[in-house]
Amino acid sequence: MNDTTVRDALSTAVSDVLESMFFLEALGEAPEPPPEAETVTALVTFDGDPPGSFYMRLASMAANSIAADFLGEDPGTLTEQQSTSVTLEMANMICGAVLSRIESSGSFRLGTPRIAAWDATAAETMQETRYTVDTGNGTLTVAIQMETRTCSPAERSAY
Amino acid sequence: MAYRVLITDDSPAMRAFVRRVIELSGFELSACFEAGDGAEALDVLHKEWVDAILTDINMPGVDGEELLRRLAADESLRGIPAIVISTDATQSRISRLMALGARGYVTKPFRPEALRAELERTLGVPSE
Repeated sequence: MNDTTVRDALSTAVSDVLESMFFLEALGEAPEPPPEAETVTALVTFDGDPPGSFYMRLASMAANSIAADFLGEDPGTLTEQQSTSVTLEMANMICGAVLSRIESSGSFRLGTPRIAAWDATAAETMQETRYTVDTGNGTLTVAIQMETRTCSPAERSAY
Repeated sequence: MAYRVLITDDSPAMRAFVRRVIELSGFELSACFEAGDGAEALDVLHKEWVDAILTDINMPGVDGEELLRRLAADESLRGIPAIVISTDATQSRISRLMALGARGYVTKPFRPEALRAELERTLGVPSE
């Protein structure tokens, strides 16, 4: 699997999830926000072939408006807990949609999504496997890091 | 006819969304129960009758696979149709869950009409 395949999977998954579940049309690829931008980051670890980590960094303003639309709530009355819950679910869905396209074993298991700090150092290692899109209310960046296997799952399970 | 449905998902946002989608789609609900994992779902099912269960798979505690196993093992509950709603679209996972007793499968992301259609198909409701 090459980086182009992964990037294609990321962009397709983001478009599918935004359109189907959040009734949003992605407005095309965008530059990444600076490190100091107000954003919220969700992390989903996964087990599969290969295992790895998925990061989603969403502009805070976009997170609130997307959560309000998703839940059918007024943005002014939305609680931080509701906004966080929707952000985590969005990360879960995008990660699952990406892995359904790229996992070679045909099976994977997602960890529970959690809020995390955006790891700029880790992001540097994902230059070719991350993607940023304009949601109309701020940017959404997704990135995936997959571990390198030194042996196949069959070889591993033999030990 | 109105139906009684149980939504099982560890994400409160997803539970709220599924409920909203069902209601907005025009599918008539007379009751909608919620559970945060399989154990809570079984508690609800021992107190309330439902026509269908919509369940996530990856949940802490009693997950969706285990919930399907426990439903199948319980004579009083095995007749209730369960529809899995999951991000996992891999064929091996879908086949395994259907073999465990799931009657329907909806992959996230889904369009609201797809969820309604799967509910109607599973419950044998004639499409409009």
